[in-house]
Amino acid sequence: MVLDFFRSSGHSAVEAVEGKLAGMLRDGREVYDAATEALFGGGKSKETRREVRSTDRGINEAQRDIRRELMVHASVNETVDLPLVLSYMSVVKDAERIGDYAKNIYDLVRYGADFTDQPDQEELVRYRDAVGRLIEDACMAFEARDAERARELISRADEFLDDHDAHIKAAFSFDGEPADAVARALYYRFLKRITAHVMNLLTSLVMPIDRLDYYDEDKEDRG
Amino acid sequence: MVREGQGDMQTGGAETRRGMPTPVRTVVVLALLYLFLAGVRLLEGGIKGFGSDFTDALFEGVSNPLAGLFVGVLATVLVQSSSVTTATIVGLVASGVVSVDAAVPMIMGANIGTTVTNTLVSLGHMRQTAEFRLAFTAATMHDFFNVIAVAVLLPLEVLTGVLSNTARAITEILAGGSGIEFQSPIKGAVSWLAGIFESLIEALFSNEDVIATLFLVVGIALIFLTLTFITKNMRVLVAARIERSLNAVLAKSGVVGMIVGMLVTIAVQSSSITTSILIPIVASGVLVVRNAYPITLGANVGTTVTALLAALASGTTDGLTIALVHTLFNVAGILLLYPWKVTRFLPVRLAEGLATIAMSRRTLALGYVAVVFVAVPLLGTLLLR
Repeated sequence: MVLDFFRSSGHSAVEAVEGKLAGMLRDGREVYDAATEALFGGGKSKETRREVRSTDRGINEAQRDIRRELMVHASVNETVDLPLVLSYMSVVKDAERIGDYAKNIYDLVRYGADFTDQPDQEELVRYRDAVGRLIEDACMAFEARDAERARELISRADEFLDDHDAHIKAAFSFDGEPADAVARALYYRFLKRITAHVMNLLTSLVMPIDRLDYYDEDKEDRG
Repeated sequence: MVREGQGDMQTGGAETRRGMPTPVRTVVVLALLYLFLAGVRLLEGGIKGFGSDFTDALFEGVSNPLAGLFVGVLATVLVQSSSVTTATIVGLVASGVVSVDAAVPMIMGANIGTTVTNTLVSLGHMRQTAEFRLAFTAATMHDFFNVIAVAVLLPLEVLTGVLSNTARAITEILAGGSGIEFQSPIKGAVSWLAGIFESLIEALFSNEDVIATLFLVVGIALIFLTLTFITKNMRVLVAARIERSLNAVLAKSGVVGMIVGMLVTIAVQSSSITTSILIPIVASGVLVVRNAYPITLGANVGTTVTALLAALASGTTDGLTIALVHTLFNVAGILLLYPWKVTRFLPVRLAEGLATIAMSRRTLALGYVAVVFVAVPLLGTLLLR
């Protein structure tokens, strides 16, 4: 512990925080994959539940670690990295919420939802894969600090938000079982929330600090 | 990749973000350190230049230990740095105008005076009740620790000379004899630069009093300015290490925290920086007061390195002795309170009590600073001289 003072870590404290944020995204993707796999045929199992819960706990702990480290960083460096500290203090919440909503998808399985052999199976799978890819791409863009890529992904994800809303609306006139309608509405709602939080996280790469959390709002309320 | 709209929000090492490359900054720090040591030598030369009659009259008052203590507090509050005060005291002792015995209370006063900085930082949290309680406790536990240490060790020193005698014994071992001067490894190099300043001043002025005054002024200015810039640059140089160390001791501190506090303070050459960094971390609840406490005690010990460096520049045994008194006083303070369960957190408990009072009326916190750090030392200095 004391010897840490004399060792050179090779990266700055901010880079360490960025690494942890990317790690939270990767873990979020893991929870998302486990939850959707269960929803699309895997069913609920103790093992999956344990995996989802423990990965989500890890994400929550990483969030607290990052907040502590940002506080120490701000105290040691005063105003040098203030915009970054404020930005990461905000987007760490988005990274944490991705795990939360993925966990909520698994909760649908626990309540009895099962998306195997649905009439709109192809559509359900398509959005599952699209959001999964979005999390992964966002993680890579964030790790590379790639503003161009972030802008592309934000634009791609923005289209999803409208689609998710349309699907939620469609769930109200769903012809099948009421339980399936509820599961659909919630599923698309959770995908929408995940998409919005991924977009918020990406805004830390491209936007001024006052516009963070912009994508937490509905499109018409963003101004 | 450059982030849009966020100006300098690109990541990278702290060094690159702050402009100056690390090797250049390291050289700058070493140059500043060299100038600092030359400043101590100049100060010493300036005091000697005034002649014994003048200096005897000037420092006659501080033969009263309490007056010396208050002078130490006041001088440190004014310059906001115990390193500047203690380096100056080393210069005074090395020049022979202040005895080791008379300087001991001044050193203790400097220890109390230096705590004003983090107390002022804590006042910045006044608007947030919960934050302020933690911040004010974290700041004033340092005050209480130093006041308790002085309350016990100053009378003991006056009665027995325990600190100064121990320091003399260590000096004898280190300096290899009881002569006035010792073979300092850097004295020659420092004298060369100080000599250039002296020659320059002597070439411009002929009046001896003017020359002595200029030696003194330039010496003190060099000490003050170089320490300010050493601290600033070292803070940048070791910021990542400080962060790593603090992150490691957030959950558990104890002796490890003490060592971290000492190392950080040695690195930045300022206990005020170390203790002030802790205030917002404690105020935010990330670091609990009891884990911050050992770090603060370590900072107390770490800050004594500056006086030891100044003693190397002076090359006199008395200079080294008073620098060692500074270290011994802070180590003795820790040994006095920390190992015993009953007294270990006494300063923290007292600080918590004071914070509770300050919470009921915030102006009391301001009054506390004004009375403890300004009114009492000022009155004490005026009345006891």
